[in-house]
Amino acid sequence: MKKLFLTFAIFAIGLVWAQTSYSQFDKLFEAITKPPPKKEQAAEEPQKQDTEQPAEQNGGGGLIGLGESLGVFDKKTSKILKQSVGTLQAFQPIEYEEEKAIGGSLAVEVFNKFGGMYPNPALQEYITLVGQAVAEVSDRPDIEYHFAVLNTENPNAFATPGGYVFVSVGLLRMLQNEAQLAGVLGHEIAHITHKHALQTLQRSKRLSGLSSLTMTAMNKDAGLFDKVINEVSEVIFTRGLDKELEFEADQFGTEYAYRMGYHPRGLKDFLKILGTAESRNSSIFLSTHPGPADRYKKLSQLLEQYNASSPYQLLAVRYKSRTKGKL
Amino acid sequence: MTMNSKNKTVRGFRWQVACLIVFLFGFGFAGQGFAETLYVKKDGTKLQAADSAKSDVVATLNGGTAVQVVKKAGKFYEVTAPGGKKGWIFKFKLTAKAPAQSGGGGDVLGALGGQQKIAARESGSGSSIRGLSPISEKRAKTKGIPEENIKAVKQMESFKVSKEELDRFLKEGHLGEYGE
Repeated sequence: MKKLFLTFAIFAIGLVWAQTSYSQFDKLFEAITKPPPKKEQAAEEPQKQDTEQPAEQNGGGGLIGLGESLGVFDKKTSKILKQSVGTLQAFQPIEYEEEKAIGGSLAVEVFNKFGGMYPNPALQEYITLVGQAVAEVSDRPDIEYHFAVLNTENPNAFATPGGYVFVSVGLLRMLQNEAQLAGVLGHEIAHITHKHALQTLQRSKRLSGLSSLTMTAMNKDAGLFDKVINEVSEVIFTRGLDKELEFEADQFGTEYAYRMGYHPRGLKDFLKILGTAESRNSSIFLSTHPGPADRYKKLSQLLEQYNASSPYQLLAVRYKSRTKGKL
Repeated sequence: MTMNSKNKTVRGFRWQVACLIVFLFGFGFAGQGFAETLYVKKDGTKLQAADSAKSDVVATLNGGTAVQVVKKAGKFYEVTAPGGKKGWIFKFKLTAKAPAQSGGGGDVLGALGGQQKIAARESGSGSSIRGLSPISEKRAKTKGIPEENIKAVKQMESFKVSKEELDRFLKEGHLGEYGE
């Protein structure tokens, strides 16, 4: 009996020890087998970069206000409760259907403001192939992405929520290889995967007081939908996103291109080209973003983590052949 | 040494061997139980016979499918799919994030966790949420935005590349699972 008990005890020790050992083995295995730039895991679990607090709700009293007037809550308690409710309301995520409606409206605005569609299906097909390849290895590959070329000489690129990505013909003329294109598209895709515009919208003080942005609410009140679109338009086309979100898009855009097998220096190289171009002042890609020198510096630091000797693709020949006579 | 003490030594040795076997059995059992679980990111992900994009496709998996990692080799992970089928998947088509349960939209817990998980509603290319939303089209018309811009968005949405075309493109460029 004693021996039987001892046998079980040893079995249990083996089990517990194995559990810890396997995790250690796994870490060791990862360290040995992972390619030197072991960035992927970090990229899978990005740090949330909230630089602003959710908009404070200033709306009416509701039950809390009633409680306050009836003397159930004192003023201080009432204020704390209102802030808590406001914070929770501001956290409510915008669902995909609403995201798509907002992104679709903004996509119409993009065509309207930036030269319309560049009419070349072969070029659109090429951009879509590169963009789709990068989106496939992003952190949100399960939505549909749409790509288009804008008919403007100004070097611009945009993303609107729900999967719409744009790049101007002027920007395409500046690129030297497919890795640079993948880096630019990766940056835009990262704005969509990380819902940067929606995060900014939800934190907007101008829209404070709104509990949620549902299709029902927006269909009912055309003014509300218009207000939302105007707010995001101003962010994307005029004010620009928070610079930390832009750095995050640079980081993830580079990572997505790398995952697909492109050289991770693509976006950095493009920023250098754009930073010295005569047309840089007309680029929203620069005017609404942090300075290219800052972005270039941060990307240079990031690239140190990638293995420069791996056979990453630049695909300069394919870029030239696929765009020849089309730009 | 007496006969009695010799027997005790032999029994002690046998006992030690038995303990070792039981210990190792426990170790192996735990290894089975604590294998790494990852999730397929997207519908139609290929499970292949070997760690090469050129190998046969054993099965195609849906987004959110949980797989157990057996082995890691370069850009491919050998995994066991539900039902016990083994094969290899390009590692960037897997994620550690579990898919969200459906219906998590409005509640507080869903809100707080909403950005960390793949929302079930948007999962899959077969999503019913397609095309320019009527509310978007109505707003554009109200604002007097020329029709051609609305058409441009619709054209952009309907423009697609097939899976086969994308696969050929990756193969030609030595990209993704076709990379060296």
